[in-house]
Amino acid sequence: MKRHNLPTVISFEVLRTFKRRTFWIGTLLVPFAIGAILGLNIISNSLGAKTSESQKDARFTFEYADDSGYVNADIARVFGGRVTSDSEAAIAAVKSGTLDAFFHYPKDPTRDAIQSFGVDKGIFNNGKYGAVAGQILKLSAEQSIGNRTLSTLVINRLDLKSITYKGGKESGNLGDVIPPLLFILIFYFVIVLLGNQMLTSTLEEKENRVTEIILTTLNPTTLITGKILSLFVIGVTQMLVFSLPMVVSFIFFRNDLKIPNLDFSSLHFSFVPMSIGLLILIAGFTLFMGTLVAVGAVMPTAKEAGQIFGVVVTLLFIPFWSLSLVASNPDSLLVRIITFFPYSAPVTAMMRNGLGSLSSAQAFVVIAELFILGALVLRLAVRLFRYGSMEYSKRVSVRAIVSQLRPN
Amino acid sequence: MQILAADPVIHIERFQMKFGKKVVIEDLSFDVIRGETFGFLGSNGSGKTTTLRALLGIYQPTAGLLQVFGRAFSPEIGGKLGYLPEERGLYKKETVIDVMTYFGRLKGMTREASHRWSVGYLERVALADKAKMRLDKLSSGQQQKVQLGVTLMNDPELLILDEPTKGFDPVNRRLLMDMVEERKKDGATVLMVTHQMDEVERLCDRLILLKDGRSRAYGTVSEIQDQFGKESILIKTPDLIPNSSQYEVLLRGVGETTLQPVDGVKTEIILRELVESGLKIQSYVPTKPSLESIFIEVYGNEDQSDEDRS
Repeated sequence: MKRHNLPTVISFEVLRTFKRRTFWIGTLLVPFAIGAILGLNIISNSLGAKTSESQKDARFTFEYADDSGYVNADIARVFGGRVTSDSEAAIAAVKSGTLDAFFHYPKDPTRDAIQSFGVDKGIFNNGKYGAVAGQILKLSAEQSIGNRTLSTLVINRLDLKSITYKGGKESGNLGDVIPPLLFILIFYFVIVLLGNQMLTSTLEEKENRVTEIILTTLNPTTLITGKILSLFVIGVTQMLVFSLPMVVSFIFFRNDLKIPNLDFSSLHFSFVPMSIGLLILIAGFTLFMGTLVAVGAVMPTAKEAGQIFGVVVTLLFIPFWSLSLVASNPDSLLVRIITFFPYSAPVTAMMRNGLGSLSSAQAFVVIAELFILGALVLRLAVRLFRYGSMEYSKRVSVRAIVSQLRPN
Repeated sequence: MQILAADPVIHIERFQMKFGKKVVIEDLSFDVIRGETFGFLGSNGSGKTTTLRALLGIYQPTAGLLQVFGRAFSPEIGGKLGYLPEERGLYKKETVIDVMTYFGRLKGMTREASHRWSVGYLERVALADKAKMRLDKLSSGQQQKVQLGVTLMNDPELLILDEPTKGFDPVNRRLLMDMVEERKKDGATVLMVTHQMDEVERLCDRLILLKDGRSRAYGTVSEIQDQFGKESILIKTPDLIPNSSQYEVLLRGVGETTLQPVDGVKTEIILRELVESGLKIQSYVPTKPSLESIFIEVYGNEDQSDEDRS
């Protein structure tokens, strides 16, 4: 149905937010902070890598004692070292400055630490002692194995692919679980980030005493819909701005930041769980936003409404308190309750959908319940807005709410 | 007395409004005719604002027919309406020009037309240099001018003004009245809620008096003066006016006496009787009661400070 003045409301709400300096300060602060942290990380990693690279091949005089028997004397010699049996004397020589360094390789280097003693060359250069001590042992180990492939297998992690079956069918692995769970992230982000804005936005007409004039030019449903849609646009914009430094970092500075090479091809975006996740997200969003509008309509000020918002956010976290139960025993009574209780249903159902424990029938019931309740709450919210926003600085009484619930 | 116009701009018939068990409007019917200025009077809490809100679709009426331009009000016809509510305000954190442009667009103007109208209006009221300022940075008088501009945008055919001069300083009150007058010259209809009886007598063609959710008087100012309060006669004469069964002497002054005809006796009959009795009458002025005195008569000693229940 075409809504009179809906585009006008959306453009006004979006543009006035975008024109607000405080919005951009708040929004850009996050990527700037992330960018600054990542930048420092890149610089630190770059300096560290250069130092480490130059230091592992550094040349200086040193002695070493090898209890492990793994150190190859020829390799140590190439680095400028010679073996000693008198550790005490070597350490004394280091202390007096006549010897640059002394390394002690323990009997089991996998269990005990290699000790290095060196003459202080400044905080950035002292790392060369440890780097050379480690490099000698690593090269000695490779030399002992005598095979590059075997060395690689020993040093690097193995790439394993695990396939499991449930009821004769291949069951989901992590690649199947992650994509539907992303909806939970979006849901939290949207509610926490935009929920308070929704409350403030609803109260704005009331606090500015502008409702009466507004309602002669558009339907309250249109106003509420316009506000929700404009907040959605604003939220998407914020998400894009927030994620920008992460995307740029991943694409251009992945090596500098030592970000693991994520294999997105292992993620499986299956149609059914993704569709269910999306529907639960939309229905849950509708329910929560409708609730916030209703709260905004009956509360006199943003401050008082904010207390209710705190309760709403707490409800969102209930499923996380029982996360292990949701994952391990999805058929338990508690999990069933929070799956179908409207205000904990979205997150619980999205979790179970991702983990593969939400049956199609349960998904249908949850989605239907959330959509129906969301529509009813939105309808109630519009009525309360129509009436409540006329009460201006007064809190709407329960009797008045009930009288507005009656069909006309 | 019910006057049903052929083509009323506003038509209210058997309107009833309840909030829970509380009855705000019992049974109200009246019309506002195209081009007239109509006074909507009543004490605080008599249901005036509730009636306006129900008329404009903000409240759902309990019963009755409420029409604007021949049909139930809908936002689509809001563009033809200029509404100045009793509770006023605009988006205070936005700039003047943005707010005005927004309301112009909501009333059906294009962005360009709305912007152009706003700029012209702001120039007229000497606020052109404040166009890009936030509303809350303006003085209350300047904010009132912007509010007025928003009301008059898109040259509305119907103006509904709920206590229009309330809170307005004298300069803006004058500005408001001038602008309303301009709209009237262009054929606009005006419905005005006010407590200023002098305004009603000066501006309104017809009016309704609301009390306890019911109409107590409805018609032209003259009809209501006839209906309520008794006419008095101010007579200038050097002679002593004798007592009579036709009238009651209210006040005897030096050379001036005020009489009040008894019920059913016309002023012409009293004049003939006085002339026939040989009095030298210098002036004879029948005076209708003021609206203010009628208002006081209707509402008695009601507590005017009560919060308006609407």
